[in-house]
Order: sequence, then C-alpha cells, then structure tokens
Amino acid sequence: MKTNKISIWLIVSLVAFMLAIPASSGAKVYKLGLSLAITGPTSDAGNPYAKGVEDYFRYVNDNKLLGQDTIDCTIRDDKYETSITKRNFEEYLDMGIVFYLNYSTGSTLGLKRDFEEVKMPTIPASFHAGNLEDSNYIFLPIASYSAQAIGLAEYVVNNHEGKKPKVALFVHPSAFGRGPVDDVKKSVAAGLNMEIVEVVEHGQDLDNTAMLQRFKSKGVQYVISQTVQSPVAVMLNDASRLGLVAKTFGEKGKFTFLGCHYTGGNDLIALAGDAAENFYWTTSYIITSEPGVGRDAQLALAKRYGRDDKAANSHNYANGVMVAQVAAETIKRAKARGVEITKESLYEELLAMNGINAFYPVTTVGPVTFSKDDQQGVDTLQLYVVEDGNFKSEGTPFIPEYTGKIK
Amino acid sequence: MSYFFQLVVSGIVVGSIYALSAIGFVLIYKSSRVLNLAHGQIIATGAFITYALTVMAHIPIYISFVLSMIFTFFLAMSVERIFLRRLIGEPIISVIMVTIGLMSIIDGLIYLTPFGSENFSFPPFLPEQPIIYAGVSISYTQLVGVIITFILIGVFSWFFKKSTVGISMRAVSDDQLASMSIGVSVPRVFGLAWATAGLSAAAAGSVIGNITGLNFGTLHAFGIIVFPVVILGGLDSLLGAVVAGIIMGLIQQFASGYLDGNWGLYGTANVLPYILLLVLLLFKPHGLFGTHEIERV
Amino acid sequence: MSANRWLATGNYFTTYQEEQRIFFTAIDRLLFAFFLAALFLWPFFVELDSKYMLVIDNILVAVIAVLGLNMVTGFAGLISVGHAAFVGVGAYTVACCARIIGDQHVLITHAWPLMILVSGFMGAIFGLVVGLPALRLKHLYLVMATLSFQMIFEWTIGFMDFFNQGQTIYVGRVVWFTGEVGRNEHYLFWYYALLTVVVICGFAVRNLLRTRYGRCLVAVRDNDRAADAMGMHPGFTKVYAFGLAGFLAGIAGSMHAYLYRGVGMESFTLHESIQYLAMTIVGGLGALTGSFFGPAAIKILDLQVESLAEWALNYLPSTMNLATALRPLSFGLVIVLFLMFEPRGIANWWRILRSYVKLWPFRY
Repeated sequence: MKTNKISIWLIVSLVAFMLAIPASSGAKVYKLGLSLAITGPTSDAGNPYAKGVEDYFRYVNDNKLLGQDTIDCTIRDDKYETSITKRNFEEYLDMGIVFYLNYSTGSTLGLKRDFEEVKMPTIPASFHAGNLEDSNYIFLPIASYSAQAIGLAEYVVNNHEGKKPKVALFVHPSAFGRGPVDDVKKSVAAGLNMEIVEVVEHGQDLDNTAMLQRFKSKGVQYVISQTVQSPVAVMLNDASRLGLVAKTFGEKGKFTFLGCHYTGGNDLIALAGDAAENFYWTTSYIITSEPGVGRDAQLALAKRYGRDDKAANSHNYANGVMVAQVAAETIKRAKARGVEITKESLYEELLAMNGINAFYPVTTVGPVTFSKDDQQGVDTLQLYVVEDGNFKSEGTPFIPEYTGKIK
Repeated sequence: MSYFFQLVVSGIVVGSIYALSAIGFVLIYKSSRVLNLAHGQIIATGAFITYALTVMAHIPIYISFVLSMIFTFFLAMSVERIFLRRLIGEPIISVIMVTIGLMSIIDGLIYLTPFGSENFSFPPFLPEQPIIYAGVSISYTQLVGVIITFILIGVFSWFFKKSTVGISMRAVSDDQLASMSIGVSVPRVFGLAWATAGLSAAAAGSVIGNITGLNFGTLHAFGIIVFPVVILGGLDSLLGAVVAGIIMGLIQQFASGYLDGNWGLYGTANVLPYILLLVLLLFKPHGLFGTHEIERV
Repeated sequence: MSANRWLATGNYFTTYQEEQRIFFTAIDRLLFAFFLAALFLWPFFVELDSKYMLVIDNILVAVIAVLGLNMVTGFAGLISVGHAAFVGVGAYTVACCARIIGDQHVLITHAWPLMILVSGFMGAIFGLVVGLPALRLKHLYLVMATLSFQMIFEWTIGFMDFFNQGQTIYVGRVVWFTGEVGRNEHYLFWYYALLTVVVICGFAVRNLLRTRYGRCLVAVRDNDRAADAMGMHPGFTKVYAFGLAGFLAGIAGSMHAYLYRGVGMESFTLHESIQYLAMTIVGGLGALTGSFFGPAAIKILDLQVESLAEWALNYLPSTMNLATALRPLSFGLVIVLFLMFEPRGIANWWRILRSYVKLWPFRY
C-alpha cells in the first residue's frame, strides 16, 4: 500500500505543479524553438551555443526590447541525432513556433524537406553550403564553410612566396567536412593558383604521424582543415612533436595550418597548447581576445547571467548570441511594421534584411544580410592567428573572391 | 625508409597505449570471466581525476598520477562490490548488461562535471622538443607513456606469477569451486581483479590524456577498441594483450600510412581491427596466447 | 480443459496441445480482442500531438526490432550487440532503392509493403551471414562478432558516397488508396501500418515458439548438448535465430525509413544497439510480452527524464549540467536495477498481475 500512497502524492503534486503555472496575461509570447546537441558528439560547441541563445533571449525579455511582449525559446537536447531533432521539431510545430533554430549539418539536411513543407524560417548552426540547395527557408548565420575554406585558400595563394603552393585538405568524414572540398576544387579550376595535393578524411586517429610524413614527402606546405577541434589538436600536437609547425606563415619545409569556424577558438588552444601557435583560423565572429565593442558586449552578457569564463570567451557563445540576435531582430522589425508575428511574416522580414536594412549585431565582423538569393548572413570573414596562446586578428575583414566566380 | 620507421615507432606508441588499456580488461576477464564494457569509462575517469588533482588541486603530476591510480583502485573495487557481487552465478548476459548499465551511469556522472563536454589538456611537464634519431621522432610524452606501460606490464606479470594473491587469482580463474575448497575467497579475488583493473585504467587514461588531450569521447572510445586487441591476444593472456596491442597499433599505422589516400580509401585504421576481429573469430577465436578452452557448438 | 470455458482457476491440461494454446480461456481471447480493437480505434476519439504520435510510432518500430532481438538473445540465448546494424540494413535497403531509382519512384511510394518485405529478407540474409560464427562460437565471442559487424557496418555507410556517407537519404511520401499520405496524416497512417505489422509479427513469433523450431531455440539456449543429443543441430538453430532476428530488424528498419522519410546513420549506431538490448532486458528476456513493454518503458523513460531535466533546470544553478547527465544516468540505473532486482523484466510483473487477477478474490 505504501507505493500506492507515494504514487498518489506524486500525482497530486504534479497536478499542483501544473496548476501553479501562471495563466498568460495580455502581453504576447512569441514561441521559438532550438534543438541542438547539448550532449553527445560536438556538445563542446553545442553547450556554449545553447547558453548564448538562452542568455540573449533572457536579455531581450529582461530589458523589454520587445515592449510587453516576450520571447519564449524552448531549448531541447537532441544528442546530435536527427531522429530526436525531428521529434523536437514536430513538438515545436505543435507548440506553434514562429522561428526555428537548428544545429547540426546532419539534422539540417535531414529536415530540409520539413522546413520547406511547413515554410519555417530556420537558422542552423551549421554553415554547410549544401543546406541551401533546394531550400528557401534555411538561412546560414555566416558565410558557408565553402566560403571559409576558399577564403583561407585565397589567403594562402596571396601570401605564398615562391612557386605554386601545395595544399592538403584535412576534413571531417561527413557532409559537414566534405562540403567545402568540391568548392575549393572548383575554385582551383576557376583559376585559383594552387595545387590540392591530397584530401584526407580523418578517423578517430590517435596519431597522425603517418599522414604528416606523407604530406611532407609530397611537398605539402599548407593544411586547411574543416572539422572539429580535437582532430586538429591531435594533428597539431603530432606536427609540433615532429618539429613541422611553421613559425611564420609559409615557412619552407614546414606546415602552416589553417582551419574553418569549428576548428578554432579557445577549445583548440586548450587542447593543443603550444602546438596551436601560428594556427590560422577564419570565422565571421568577433573573439574575446581582441578588444572591441563586441567583446565587451559578449562578456557583459555572460557576466550578467553568471556564465563561467570558459563559456563567456567561447566563440560558440558568440555564435549562439548572434543567432538569437537575428531572430529577435526579425521579430522586432515585424512588430515595428505592425504585422502579426507569424512564420510567414518573419520569413518576409528575413528576406528584407539587406541593403539599408542590413542588421549589424556587434558579435560579428560584418553586417547580416539576407535576401532571396543570399541566404548566407554575414558574408565577411575575419582571419585570426594564434600568438602567445591567444587568437589575434590578422588583416581586416574580407569577402572571398572565388565564391562568386564558381557559382 | 625513415617514413617506414616512423610508422613503426608511432605504431608501437599507439600499440602500447592499447596494451595498457587492454590489461585492465584482461585482468577482469581472467579472474571473473566478465566482459567489462565500461572499461573505457573507467579509463576516462582515471584521466580526469589525474587532471583535476594536477590542475585544480596543484599537486605535482607524478603524485596525482599515483593518487588517481589509488582512487580508481577503490572505485573499481566498490563497483564490483555494489553491482557485480550480486550477480555471481547469473547468466553471462546479465553481467555484460550490467557493465553496459555501468557505462551509462559513469557517463552520466561524468556529464555532471565539466569534463563531460569540454576539452582540457595537461600542462606540459616534460621537454617539448622531440627526440629525433635518423629522421624518426618520438616525443618525451610518448616515450614516458611507453615506459610506464612496460613497467606496469612487468609489475602485473610478476604479481600474477609470484605473489600469493596473484596465484589465488589465477586459481580462481581456473576453477572457482576448487579454489574455494582450498580456502581462497572468490569474492575477494573478484574485487581485487576489478581494483587492479581500475588502477591500470587510470594509468592508461593519464597516459592517453597526456598524448591526445582530454576529450571524453576520445577517451571512452578506448573501451571499444580494446575488443579486437584482446581477442587477438587471447582474452585471458596479459602477454597476449601486450603483443596484440602493439600489432594492432602497427596495423593501424600502416593502414593509415599506406592505404589511406590510395584507391580512395580513408579511415581504414578504424575498421581494419574489426575486420581482423571477425576473421579471427572464425579461424582462431582463442587468439594468439589465449587458453584453448573455447567451447565449440 | 476446465469445465467452464470462460474461467479457469488452475491448469487442467490433459494434452501438450492444450498447454500450448495462445488463449487459455475465452475471457482471455475476448479481452485481447477488445484490447486490439481499442488500439485500432483510439485515434478516432483522441487527437494526439504529432510529437507523441511520433513517439508512439517510434515505440512500435522498436517493438518490431526488439521482437527480433528477443528471439536471438532471449529465446536462443545469444547476445547481439549489433542489432541496430541489422535494423540499419533494412533501412538502407530502402535507401539504396531510393538512391538508384529516385525517391519518388513508384516502387518506393506505391509498392512500399513490398519494399518492407524485401528489406526484411535483406536483414535476414545479413543475419544469417553474421550468425555464421555461431556455428563455432559461444556467448562471449558472439558479442565480439556482432560488435565487429556493427563497426564494419558503420564504417561502410560512413565511407561510401553511395550511402551519402551516413547523411540523410530521402525517402518519398507513400501513396495509399486515399492518395498521397500528407504531412498531417503521416504519423497516423504509419501508426496503423506499424500496428498491423506488430500484430502480425507478434502472432507469428508466438506461433513460431509453439512449433518445433521455436522449442528448438529454447532447448539450445538451456542446454545445447542435451539439445544436440535430442537430434537438434545447435549451430544451425543459432544461425537461423540470427536470420529471424535479422528479418524482423530489417522490417523495423524499413518502417523507420518510411516513418522518418529519410535514412541517416545516427539511428543505427552502437549506442542504438545497446538501447535495443536494454529494451529487451527491461521488458524481459525470453518473454514475448517483454518485447512490447521494454521499448515502451525505455522510450517513455527517456521522454520523462527529458522533461524532468528541463523542469529541474529552472531551479538549479545553470552551471550544473544536469540535463546532460540525467539521461545516461537514468538509462544506466534502470538497466542495472532491473538486472539486480528484477532480472525477468516487466514481463514478470505482468505475469504476476495476471495470476493475481485470475485468483482474485483469493490471495495471490
């Protein structure tokens, strides 16, 4: 009988808890959904990302940026599994969300048709160019991986001294990693003066010595990576052990390592330590090791909501904040226009976000522009390089040339 | 040619890490016939404890290394006491499933700490410059890792061959009933086997953590990769674990050195051990050094 | 046979045939018929959110897969940690067809029952091949064999361009007599399809276990030497158990593909294999009813834990990563606790409940 009593109490307290949720008042609540990997693979990026989104929406609500209205963004973990993302998305649809934030390349590609069918404006955390194929409703927050890789390749070509630079691509064994490979190859075909010696899809290697030695014997000088931090760190550590990390850009007989958005950041330095010195990294986000308005804003936001240093300084925190900024901004603009906030009106608003209406979040190095043919938000990229254990900006923000040429 | 030798050296380094990871696995199997699927998680725990002691409590790394081994010693012992002691005599699937459950539980506990989803690396405590000889290089971290592996293997072999406890462990693995009748406490032996396995796991974890950095996913993957290693070596042979570990390391290095990039193949190092495993199971299931007692159907 | 065909307070079997009956009394049969009718009819009265429809469909897919796993692990006593790979074989059979002939091809959209059956046979073929080591090996080594199949499967899918390297391969919407099954009725439609398949498979397995072949499995599990002496071939029995498991897994896989309208690698990883094993254990090894309780229990637990974590987040400091930890923690605890305290799984509770009701108003 004891168990019975306990279960009755459980039910009673559950009902009481449900009744305790206050009934909604006059102000409107806009529902948003975010499904991402807080656990499982890539959760090291997903965690600060989720915190960034959460904090910014809290900030919007606390400071009444939307007047009396509030944003209610449900954040669900999907363990990096498309099937769970799908379940979360179906739930969000039932909730009546007006804007959807997604995460991984896999689930974005997997749910692309659903986004089309229900006409849901979606911003994923994956900058895979393939997300945009046959898709009208997916908007990448910043330039695609392809653009990033091409940007890095262009930097190599422009700053290389001597004959044609020999480049190897080190990519993640998935669509996420593979995406840029073809586009870089196309750029080379379109006249980018470099040679792609090898494209390596890495496994869960403990030791990349073999690969690095092979690169060396083939005369490779630059390695462009498109993957996550830990494989890059293993590679950097091995290269450093072999004494093959270039001290300056393009040092002869050694490797200069470059990488796209998810290869870099403080996590890389944490993993690779000194081996990360002179690693070139590109992204569209500002970083907290460089002084500026964006950095102050990011740190202030993190501090306000009691985040630890690690999250506060993560570029994926900036990533999350920026995506939330875009979502909040579209709602704000639609509200200012006096239309009802629906997924359709927000979609219209996103498409109008260009030219004079471009959106300048402080967390990125350039403006966010979206239109019917430009579904990539921030087109400008910034190159960063590790000096004394910190990323420092190298040059000014740029837009890769060849992205336009290969279309 | 230095390419080849470099591959050999890397293979031996990776291989001895495998060996070190496999030892704990073999220890448990040898005495209690339990396949411990949670071994990778114990390895990760050991690595994280070493890191926490070194960096957060500012204890010198050598001491924290030993402390972490002591800690996992008792941790694994209590795991055995709490979860596995009750299952003595239960069908084998229950025991295997309990270790799978343990895997999840330890996962959950680690996710409660910052180690679950973030990346760390040990502060460097050895010279950064690699040793280079005739174009072949090896770092001090790797060298120390290999040395620790061989020291531990030596200690364990001695322990099993000569010490009373070791002999009683072997006796239990041979015949539980007979050893009980001559006064060996079987449960105590099981507990000890788990404890020593935990100890070796912490050592393995710390060595791996120093070489690759601390990432939970990378660390607990070692719990799975030891399967092909132990089957190749023979499930109940310590020597087998060492030899097979090194063979597996070499195979993987040669695969990624000579196969990858040719014929459009990639990541062969990750799948070859399992192909080998399947072939071995068909033709030589007791492995290189295992006891030939496998029951045919 | 008891005198009253509606009620029985004890066993009155006089022949073995009687003991093997599916329904012992007419009341059993009647109740079961009502239960089935209720399963088919409730969607007319209650409208559920898509999320929950998806969860239910997902449970049914898992039920089919677990029926297979229970066959090989519960009844034949062979541990398989590669079951998700067999499910994957089924799903990728559909995906391959979609890849070759296009995902809107008539064969995929109209002849989907055929596709499902074909996937089942593909699963069976793979099951037979992977089960071959069972001719020589016993329990522990079979764990390894199935593990390596799982790993090789993952690598093959992840490596080959043809399989889109594990990224989603789309499968078109199916067509039924009423026309194309649209977004709104998608989950409902598959609920019925899955339910039908589950009922058919459930009865098929139940009947199989009554036959010589089914009893063979149990005999080999309990004592293979004795079984050998009785004239059964333990090796072949095990291999065919793997084949059957593969068949059911293949069906589950193809239905998964249709349900999610796409096939991606993540649903067929080692982690999923472990989930299937956990479902089998929690449900009850070697108990048919267990195959229904197990998936339901694990999936519902997962959902509950998720909402609990979400609720707890509001009250705990956000630095504590509770949400992440709770899932594996609860999953592991459930497995361990069941193994320690109720190794016969939920099916055993069901059995006790039934006996209790049967004997009521007397004490159990």
